[in-house]
Amino acid sequence: MWQFPVSDQVPQISGNRQACGNRFDKQQRTFIQMRTVLKVVDNSGAKKVMCIQALKGKKGARLGDTIIASVKEAMPNGKVKKGKVVYGVVVRAAMQRGRCDGSEVKFDDNAVVLVDKQGQPIGTRVFGPVPHELRQKKHVKILTLAEHIA
Amino acid sequence: MWATLRSRYLHLSAKTLPSSSLTNGSWKLGFSGLNQTFSSSTVERRSNELLSLQEVEKVLSDVRADDVAVVPVGNQCDWADFMVIATGRSQWHVKNIAQALIYKVKQKQKGAKRMVLPSVQGQETGKWIVIDSGRVIVHALDEKARAYYNLENLWTAKPAQKEPVEELTKVFVKVRRINNSKKPAQGSD
Repeated sequence: MWQFPVSDQVPQISGNRQACGNRFDKQQRTFIQMRTVLKVVDNSGAKKVMCIQALKGKKGARLGDTIIASVKEAMPNGKVKKGKVVYGVVVRAAMQRGRCDGSEVKFDDNAVVLVDKQGQPIGTRVFGPVPHELRQKKHVKILTLAEHIA
Repeated sequence: MWATLRSRYLHLSAKTLPSSSLTNGSWKLGFSGLNQTFSSSTVERRSNELLSLQEVEKVLSDVRADDVAVVPVGNQCDWADFMVIATGRSQWHVKNIAQALIYKVKQKQKGAKRMVLPSVQGQETGKWIVIDSGRVIVHALDEKARAYYNLENLWTAKPAQKEPVEELTKVFVKVRRINNSKKPAQGSD
């Protein structure tokens, strides 16, 4: 598995899917839906947000999708305050996402970057790794602000 | 648009197998050293697919964009080679810069059966427009956005931030306190 030393996040990129004998060995991670608490990984001031709506998808949001969220925990002097309703782009998801070459990528937590309604990021830096999927989802701005790209 | 982008990447990667920098799996898993030699010859060819650096500079000078900065990020990130950052004097000017670049791409591809346009993000607001044309990425900002996001700092300071791994080994060394007083140390009685 490919590791990098700077952050504690290790995205798992699996090549072949093994035939699983017992399907209760691994946790089955699922979509980001209403009431999901996500971590905020930019410097916009918020720390935790709770998803209140996934904008696309009947079952929920995945890696690279936009959600509407409510700020549950925020830094004292930041650009967003607690209780504000914001839009966010999911940059790390515990649910695996398939890539076009057959591999899958999944992270250890659910993380989001806050944006405004037009898609402009509210913060100026994004911490932790972000996946390449954002490029195809038209979130190149978040990729340019990111410090590491998985 | 996404479908065409994806099919373009797949098509290109099928064409030039070693420089499969736009598909993700094998590139990161340790073959990057091997691929560097191949991709250096194909990098110019790839960036000429949509927009090359010289064309971008020419268009930006035609449109009279302020403060054009070209940052070579090829050594820091593998999904782009150059980042061009330009400032517009007003929101309309920023939109105009984006329109001019797209027009240039359309002119280049005139007469082709199927035109591949670069992806543009942020077109409705004139605050920050990103034009993603493969290896060259153009950012058109207005002055407030440029001061706010401070992209040059991020991309020119980046190699320095990869250093601190060596300092971690020094951090965990235990250092004893220097005892300058006349009394002996605590536990030595």
